[in-house]
Amino acid sequence: MAKARPIPGLSAELSYSEAAVRTIEVRSAELFEHAAGVLDVGKIEAVHAMRVATRRLRAVLEFYEPCLDREQLRPVLGQVCDLADALGQRRDPDVEILALTQFAAGATDSERPGIERFIERTREQQQQANTELEAILAQIEQDGLRERLAGLIEPPAAEPETVAEPAAGPIGDPAAVQPDDPEQPARGGWLRRR
Amino acid sequence: MKARKVKHIDPDGTLADNAQRVVQVRLDELYDFVPAVLDPKAVKKLHAMRIAAKRLRYVLEVTAKDCFGPYALTASKRVRELQDLLGEVHDCDIQLPRLQKMASGLSAEATAELSRRAGEAVDLDPTLASGLPHSEDWAGLAALEQYLAVRRALLFRRFTDIWQDIERSAMRARLEYAIAERPADGAQAVAADQ
Repeated sequence: MAKARPIPGLSAELSYSEAAVRTIEVRSAELFEHAAGVLDVGKIEAVHAMRVATRRLRAVLEFYEPCLDREQLRPVLGQVCDLADALGQRRDPDVEILALTQFAAGATDSERPGIERFIERTREQQQQANTELEAILAQIEQDGLRERLAGLIEPPAAEPETVAEPAAGPIGDPAAVQPDDPEQPARGGWLRRR
Repeated sequence: MKARKVKHIDPDGTLADNAQRVVQVRLDELYDFVPAVLDPKAVKKLHAMRIAAKRLRYVLEVTAKDCFGPYALTASKRVRELQDLLGEVHDCDIQLPRLQKMASGLSAEATAELSRRAGEAVDLDPTLASGLPHSEDWAGLAALEQYLAVRRALLFRRFTDIWQDIERSAMRARLEYAIAERPADGAQAVAADQ
């Protein structure tokens, strides 16, 4: 199983919103890196790696949910969950077939036919799960999941310039927020657009 | 099982402070399954505990190293061990009924064939029962059923041993302490010692 890639610059004092951006970016990239070869039932580790990457991505989307636009997140998270389920449905028979094959290898001649029959049934399940996984992967491609994940953490487009209202307080009043004050936290909570 | 809502999350706050709140809730969720899961028949609760362990594990995977005291990483490994073991128990809980259902279906086919052979006879000729469909499968299916049942019992015993060990090592209290620590506290403490 691939180790989770470290998140650059992640620290305890980093703002939750900024941590969301950095983490989701890395975990999204990991998901698509593991997509190659998942439909090949002869290479069961590919499914496992993508499943783990999907779980990790799902976990961070749920963990950082308060920082994200709920309307944007809901369909993306739904699709990541569907993908996780489809990968799980494929992974379960993969593992089972492997274990049953090992079990059959240690069985007597009289025991082997029954075990083989059960393996056959499990293979049918694997094929069905693979068909469902193929459909989900096509759907993800069609719906642009990768782009929508990027959209979740994209800074909002710059607002058109407007005539500035006079500051409410006297100049130098810390309560009067200056729009382009470099001392002001630029992105704290900007991910929320609820 | 739906994840419990975490209160007082602040997207503008630090990653560590928010992660502390999330870990605390996920930790409580995990412990809420005890003592119910110490009953080997609590199949649904064991599965739900596995989900709770998974949620805690992934939050810790994202945050333990960067946000908390050193014990958080140790706890993360323990929770992962617990989740993996509960996963194996769950696999048996899925596989065993599937196997029994298949065996029962094959048995019904054999019974139907025997009834067909008996026709309108007033008693059943024993020779008619030989060579029934699937008769070659029973030995293997019975061996597999025994294997899964005994393996499940062994895995459950290992789960209770691991849980007892987790309780003895006061994982909950130590993790609660660790999530209130910040890595900088540790660094300052080391500097003060020197």
